[in-house]
Amino acid sequence: MAKTIAIHSFRGGTGKSNTTANLACLLAGMGRRVGIVDTDLQSPGIHVLFGLDAKGPGYALNDFLWGKCEVTRAAYDVTAAAESSSGGRLFLIPASIRAGDIARVLHYGYDVNLLKEGYHRLIGDLSLDFLFVDTHPGLNEETLLSIAISDILLILLRPDHQDYQGTSVTVEISRQLEVPRTCLVLNKVPENFDRAALAAKVSAAYDCKVVGVLNHEDQMMTLASSGIFVIRYPDHPLSSEFKSIVREVGQ
Amino acid sequence: MRAGKIILAGCLWGAVYGIMNGISNTVLLPSAPFISIRPQIALPMVIGIISHPSAGFLVGFTGNLIGDGISGFGLWKFWNWHLANGLIGFLPGMIVRYAGIGKIATVRDFGILEMGVIAASAVSVGAAVLLDYGFLHFMNFPESFPSWILPAFLTDAVNGFILVPAVLIMARRLILTLETRTILLITTLLVLAILSTAISITWSVWDDLVSTEAMIENFYLAGIISVLFIVAGFVASIAFIRRITDPVSRLILAAEEVEKGRYDLAALEPISRRSDELGQLSRVLQVMADQVRKRENHLLLQVQELQIKIDLDRKAKDVAEIVETEYFQTLKKRAKEFRAS
Ligand SMILES: Nc1ncnc2c1ncn2[C@@H]1O[C@H](COP(=O)(O)OP(=O)(O)O)[C@@H](O)[C@H]1O
Ligand SMILES: [Mg+2]
Repeated sequence: MAKTIAIHSFRGGTGKSNTTANLACLLAGMGRRVGIVDTDLQSPGIHVLFGLDAKGPGYALNDFLWGKCEVTRAAYDVTAAAESSSGGRLFLIPASIRAGDIARVLHYGYDVNLLKEGYHRLIGDLSLDFLFVDTHPGLNEETLLSIAISDILLILLRPDHQDYQGTSVTVEISRQLEVPRTCLVLNKVPENFDRAALAAKVSAAYDCKVVGVLNHEDQMMTLASSGIFVIRYPDHPLSSEFKSIVREVGQ
Repeated sequence: MRAGKIILAGCLWGAVYGIMNGISNTVLLPSAPFISIRPQIALPMVIGIISHPSAGFLVGFTGNLIGDGISGFGLWKFWNWHLANGLIGFLPGMIVRYAGIGKIATVRDFGILEMGVIAASAVSVGAAVLLDYGFLHFMNFPESFPSWILPAFLTDAVNGFILVPAVLIMARRLILTLETRTILLITTLLVLAILSTAISITWSVWDDLVSTEAMIENFYLAGIISVLFIVAGFVASIAFIRRITDPVSRLILAAEEVEKGRYDLAALEPISRRSDELGQLSRVLQVMADQVRKRENHLLLQVQELQIKIDLDRKAKDVAEIVETEYFQTLKKRAKEFRAS
C-alpha cells in the first residue's frame, strides 16, 4: 500500500521543500519508488533542489489542474539526483514558476478535487511506494485536502513563538480530519539548544510525536537550493537525523 | 619536630656562617678594627626567609659567636653583635612573613624584601650600638661612627641588598615574572652604576685613604650617600615599574573575571583611557567581554523560548474559522473514504 506523506508548516521558509527532498531521496536510495508533488503553486521551490528547469516548455502540475494534460505527463524522473543504485525511482511533479501561471492560480484557483485524482493516478501509474506532498504554508483548501488524504502528516516548525501557535492549529485540524499519523519535525534549531529537552517539551505541548530535531546548519544554507544535503553530506549529523525520520515514517 | 628542624638548620648554617666570618675577619675594612666585607651576611637573612625567622636568628647568633672565637676576639666579648647578627637573620624573614609574601613574584614583594634587608641592617646595627652604649662601653661617640657603626651597616646593607635576591632566585623562592625581571634589571643597573663609580674612585685614592685617618670619615659618608642613592633609585623605579605592571595585573584580574562569567569591566575604565598599548588592550578586553555577555544573553533568551506558550483562545478561534466552513465539513466526511480509495 502506497503511503501519502504531506509536509506542512505554518510559515514559509521553514524548510518543507528541503526536508521533502531529503526524505524522498533517502527513500529512493533505499530502493523505493517515490513521488514528490509540489502543491506550493504560489511559491514553488522544490524543483530547484533537483536542478529542474520549471520554466521550460514541459508540463507542470498547473497544466494538469487546468485540464491541459495527464498528471503523469508532468512527472519528471529525477532519480539521478538521489544517486540510487538499488532500483529506487524518484519522480517530481513540479509547480510552474511562470509568472502567468502563478498569477492565474492566485486569481482563479483551480479544481481542488482534481488534485486528489492526480495523487491517485500518480500512485497507480508510477507504482509509487511513497508520495510526498510539499504544501503551501497556511491552511487553504488544497492544503486541507492534501492533509485530509495523507496517511502521514509531517508538520515542520521552528522553535519560535509564532510557529508554536500556528502548529497548534494544524495539529488540531489534522485530528479533526482523523489523519492516521501526525508527526512533528523541528527544523532550524540553533546549535546551542538542548535537542532532547526541546523535543520532549514540544511533544508534550502538542501530545504529538517529534520524529526529528534538525539543527540550523550553515552548510545547508550554503548548499542553498542547489543540491540535496543527504546526498552531498551523507555522513553529516544532519543526514543521520534525516535518516532517523525516514525510519520513523518509512516503515 | 618543626622546632627541631629549625634549630638544626640554624646551627648547621650557623657553623657555615661562623667559618666564613672567621675567614673574612682576616681582611678588615680600612680603619675598622672589627668589621670586614662580609658577603656571607646574606646567609642568615636567606635562612630566615626560607626556613623560619628563628632559624635566621640562630644562624646569625651562633655564626657570629663562632666567627669571633675563630678570630680570637673572645667568645662572648662582643655578645651585643651576636644579638645584632641574630636580628639581621630574624628581621627580613619576619617582615616577608608579616607582609604575607610566599613566592616573591611582584614588584611589591621585591620592594618589601629589599627594604626589609636594609631595615634589618640598620635596626640590628642600631641595636648593637645601643647595647654597647648601655652595657659594654667599647665604643666612643662620635669616633666609633666612621670606624665601626657605618662600616658595619654599609657592608651588611649592600651585600644583603645584592646577594639575598640572587640566592633567593637560586632557591626558587624569587620567581622570574615580568615584574621581577624588570625590577631585577633596574636594580642591577642601579647598583652597578653606583658601585662602579664608588669602587673606582676608592681604588684610586686607596693609599691616601688608609693612611689618612681624617679621610675615612668622608669615605664612609660617601658610602652612606651611595646607599641612600640606591634606596632612592630603587623606590623610584618601583613606582615607575608599578605604573606599568599595575595595569597589567588589573587586566589579568579582569580577564579572570570574564573567565568566571562576570562581564562588567567598568573597573578597567581608567586603564582604557590610556593612549598606550595597555589602554588598547584594556579597550579590546572590555569590548570582548561585552560581546560575550551579549551572546550569552542571547542564548539565555533562546533557552527561555523553550517555554512553549500557546494562546488557546486564539487557537480555538483559528480552528473554528476553518472547521466551520462548508468545504471543511465535506472534506471531513469524505477524508476517510479518500484515504481508503
Ligand atoms: N536545517 C536547516 N539549516 C539551515 N538552513 C535551512 C535548513 N532547512 C532549510 N534551510 C534553508 O531555509 C530556506 C527555506 O527552505 P525551504 O525548504 O525552501 O522552505 P519552505 O519550503 O518551507 O518554504 C532554504 O534556503 C533552505 O536552504
Ligand atoms: Mg517550499
